[in-house]
Amino acid sequence: MNALQQEIAQLIIDTLNLEDVAVDDIPPDQPLFGEGLGLDSVDALELALALQKRYDIRIASDSKDARQHFTTVASLAAFVQAQQDACKS
Amino acid sequence: MNEQVVHERHWSTHKERGSLFLMRLTAFGVRVLGRRILTPVLYLIVLYFFVSARTARRNIRQYQSYLAEWSGRSSLNPSLGSVYRQFIAFADNLLDRLDVWRGYLRFEQVQLVDPSGVRSRLIRSHLGGRGEILVVTHLGNPDVCRAMAELGEQVPLNVLVHNRHVAQFNRLLGEAGDKSMRLIQVSELDTAMMMDLSQRIERGEWLAIAGDRVPLHDGRRVVVDFLGHAAAFPQGPWLMAGLLRCPVNLLCCLKVDGRYRIILDPFLDKAQWERGKRDATIQAWIQRYADHLAQQCLMAPRQWFNFYAYWQSAEPGANDAS
Repeated sequence: MNALQQEIAQLIIDTLNLEDVAVDDIPPDQPLFGEGLGLDSVDALELALALQKRYDIRIASDSKDARQHFTTVASLAAFVQAQQDACKS
Repeated sequence: MNEQVVHERHWSTHKERGSLFLMRLTAFGVRVLGRRILTPVLYLIVLYFFVSARTARRNIRQYQSYLAEWSGRSSLNPSLGSVYRQFIAFADNLLDRLDVWRGYLRFEQVQLVDPSGVRSRLIRSHLGGRGEILVVTHLGNPDVCRAMAELGEQVPLNVLVHNRHVAQFNRLLGEAGDKSMRLIQVSELDTAMMMDLSQRIERGEWLAIAGDRVPLHDGRRVVVDFLGHAAAFPQGPWLMAGLLRCPVNLLCCLKVDGRYRIILDPFLDKAQWERGKRDATIQAWIQRYADHLAQQCLMAPRQWFNFYAYWQSAEPGANDAS
């Protein structure tokens, strides 16, 4: 798990108040929704707002991409990274 | 979902379109004839609706008998006359809404009941504070949001609406001379919408949203007790408040003794839930909101302008959060 992935896992735990979950309990490739961590659509909205505040990123509305970004910690980290790179250039 | 059936029944498809038509007609009439001449004409139109709309009559009668039963006031028991008076109250309401839109109803004419100083917070948020949420109701005159914009002295007020006629309503608002409030269509809470609303709150803008109508394409609803019977209320406003972690206030505008009264009540200092208890928390908020609404119905019993079957969705299993 790289630094950004760890940071995002921690952000998920803090935002959603997952008291009995540690960063190591969320492997980067584990699905966040349904079977995996068991998050739901409201959690996703909460998470999106927290990501927006922390990383100053925009997430497009109806795109299927938006849903894909939220699949795992790894995909979220890749998305944040890509957004930040896009802002720098 | 059986779309056809829902379409036939749901308020957002027929009631709003009908009322938009009536609104346009009224707007045109007021411009051409003036309110004094238009009033009897509008009464005739409403009389026609009263005679022809059996379902609406039945729904209002149901509301009135639930209110009488719940409050224990037999004077509120429905009769043909009392149902008719509620239709006439709607005609008056339409005329008043036009006055509001045209800016004829000045803030000085409205009595403000604001014991805890919601208005001063509204004005303060102009100076760099966070925005808040106003949950409005279709009891009385919800269009006082227009007057609220004036109350707030330039604090941007975003009115969130469900229906697809936003563009038409905005045009009508423009025609009627109203440019100070912004309508935003929210069909569902998605990430982009939430991010936009969150930025507005951070900028100190306020959001107004109806708390008493369940949108067509949003399954997020909660069934609570309202006037002694189970009724579905939207979860949307409360989810939004919890996600934005902002205060929630209730806004209601009733005509009491011929004069409008804006009632502002703080409801939640900061909407927040524990994740495991989210549904239960929201359910409790909505029940408290429904109880508050029921009390306000007693202040203006004939100003309940939900003409569709309000208690229809109260079958078991409708209380589905996801």
